[in-house]
Amino acid sequence: MQKQECIAMLLAGGQGSRLGGLTHNIAKPAVSFCGKYRIIDFSLSNCANSNINTVGVLTQYKPYLLNSYIGLGSAWNLDNPFGGVHILPPYVGDNEGSWYQGTANAIYQNLDFINFYDPKYVLIISGDHIYKMNYLSMLKDHKENGSDITVSTIEVPWEEVSRFGIVTIDQEGKVIKFMEKLPDPESNLASMGIYIFNWSILRQALIDDALDPLSENDFGKNIIPKQIELGKKVFAYNFQGYWRDVGTIESYYNANMESLDGEDSIDLFDPGQRVFSNEDILPPQYIGPTAKIQNSLISNGCVVLGQVSHSILAPGTYVGEGSIVEDSILLPHAKVHRETTINKTIIGEGAKIMSHCSLGREPGPIPQQSGITVLEDHYVLEKGSVIQAGSNLNAC
Amino acid sequence: MHNAIGILFGNNSSDILQGLAFQRSIAAVPFGGRYRLLDFALSSMVNSGIRTIGLVTPRHYRSLLDHLGAGKEWFLDRKSGGLFILPGAIQGLSGQSGKFRLKDLQLNIEYLQKEFCENIIISGCNHVFNINYQAALEIHESKRADITLIYKESTDSVAMAGKEHLIIGDNQEVLDILGNDTAETSGQTQAYFVDMLIIRRKLLLELIEGYRSIETVNLMDAIYENIRSLKLFGVPFKGYFGTVNSVKDYFDRSMELLNPEIRKEVLTGQDQIHTKIVDNPPTKHGAQAKVSNSLISSGCTIEGEVHNSILARGVIVESGAVIRNCIIMQKCKIEAEASLNYVILDKFVKVHAGNVLKGNKNTPLVVLKGSLV
Repeated sequence: MQKQECIAMLLAGGQGSRLGGLTHNIAKPAVSFCGKYRIIDFSLSNCANSNINTVGVLTQYKPYLLNSYIGLGSAWNLDNPFGGVHILPPYVGDNEGSWYQGTANAIYQNLDFINFYDPKYVLIISGDHIYKMNYLSMLKDHKENGSDITVSTIEVPWEEVSRFGIVTIDQEGKVIKFMEKLPDPESNLASMGIYIFNWSILRQALIDDALDPLSENDFGKNIIPKQIELGKKVFAYNFQGYWRDVGTIESYYNANMESLDGEDSIDLFDPGQRVFSNEDILPPQYIGPTAKIQNSLISNGCVVLGQVSHSILAPGTYVGEGSIVEDSILLPHAKVHRETTINKTIIGEGAKIMSHCSLGREPGPIPQQSGITVLEDHYVLEKGSVIQAGSNLNAC
Repeated sequence: MHNAIGILFGNNSSDILQGLAFQRSIAAVPFGGRYRLLDFALSSMVNSGIRTIGLVTPRHYRSLLDHLGAGKEWFLDRKSGGLFILPGAIQGLSGQSGKFRLKDLQLNIEYLQKEFCENIIISGCNHVFNINYQAALEIHESKRADITLIYKESTDSVAMAGKEHLIIGDNQEVLDILGNDTAETSGQTQAYFVDMLIIRRKLLLELIEGYRSIETVNLMDAIYENIRSLKLFGVPFKGYFGTVNSVKDYFDRSMELLNPEIRKEVLTGQDQIHTKIVDNPPTKHGAQAKVSNSLISSGCTIEGEVHNSILARGVIVESGAVIRNCIIMQKCKIEAEASLNYVILDKFVKVHAGNVLKGNKNTPLVVLKGSLV
């Protein structure tokens, strides 16, 4: 086995409960994004494009689709004899092992895995962000600064700072304070949840953290603040570019729509830094004689007979004759039968909407989640239903 | 099901497709947006459970191998079995339409010798079809046939030009094989042999050995000469079978994919057609885009109008451009205000702004790969 300089640990166990119906049956990283992709594609493609070809993927919540989607990692060119993708679910041993209690605990339980590769550096990333980043340039900074830990940061609008872990730095870029989700922080530099650790520092930090009964075993809340307190060299790496956390229905919807509107978005058409995905082989999309499509992204295997505007259609979706789909996202294999009108709605995977329905057009009583209607995957909506904007339709 | 291996003859080169088959064999001609013709024959074998397939390569095999790679998309990158490349014999005359030449097999005899399976399925790669060989194999086994020929009943002697036709007995046995030139009886239903057959491996080895000294003999000639001593059966193929004998045929077969029933039968049924994955982003339809009755592959950017056409991957249609009744291959760029009607653009063609290209229904205009017009 070849010794690796840097390996990645990808946290993909989160439930993503704020995504509601989209994550009732699948883990958040496996949620479909922007047509043919799934959210985890972006992190895995970044690893591939950064030549990091040993990736441990920590899974826990409803991992079946995620595991089968990742497979051996060959879709991302990560099936490599010296490393490759390893799916790391929770396990039990003689006296140890349990469900993962937090991000740090998940890595702690897999110290053996990292020991096996014995890298110099460990990159910690999560599987629920949309961005393109070359981790090697962050690693280069890490080495040049002689850091123990590097935290990747991005400037966020002041009105959103309370959603993030906020980093305060000195002139040299050294982190002097790291606070999670405070209402009134003193900086707008947010942590992206991407860290590079020297392996020896990480190992010690995790072992100490596991012994601390008061710890929540979380990188942002416990590990990083503790290491700063201990006087370790923690530097910030300021990332410039597009980065979105898609943890809520609104942010998920907006990130999808941004990819449609251009300007500030993830550039899927850039041949230099490609985003790979594990796609099914489907025939080309068929656009019918009466179809009308404007300003939309349409994937393979789609059949469009009605009108689609400002929407994203994932592979294998169907829009029947006389139907109108506006400002909506259809996830893989969703079917919209004829004469149905859909506005600002996310339709889950394999969901079926029968004819003559109306979704998201009538205003709801309380404006919730910005009026975005969500149908859970495999939901079947009866003929002629009228659904108010902002509703969540769940199968159970 | 492991009682058969496959052989595909991908070396049928010819000039009937004009420029489209200039530097590639017919098997490698792009078709239906994201496929090559070979995909139909290859996927049919794979979907029938065959995981050992030998491909007889043509003279210009770059495009074919570029498409196939290690056969991963067809589940043929395997430890046992998989995709085997069988270099074809290079004959002096490349235009010769010799199909299933025994010489090609004799050069690759190891492929046939080292396998232990009972049967071999042989097929050409120049047609559009989606067949599952399971049923034919079962009949082949239950009849204890030496050779089973697959045929298609058709009245269209023009579409089936160049195909042998079979005289089938009451018990599905093949009584006679008639050469293609004797089939002047147009309008009558004939059983045309569609370049697919199942043969016992030992028998094939004997035939190859027997005809060793003759350079140009075809498998079908050899079968015909021994017809009295062989147990020959025919199995009808009831599905869609698209022949490509000319540029017009190529155009018509492509356009038939716009018909939902044919598309369902060939592309979206139980057995799907596999092809090389390029991993493009979804296609972007812009604010001015108008698309109707068309098949569009992934990775395109459409700002103009596209009607009754087939677009391959990564095509760019700028605003104001109008495309009607066209087949546009990979990575072509049609600049603003250009107008195309009945045109086939091979890969990487760039049509400059405002230019008008026009063919007609019977003779679509073919623009060669990489041209700037």
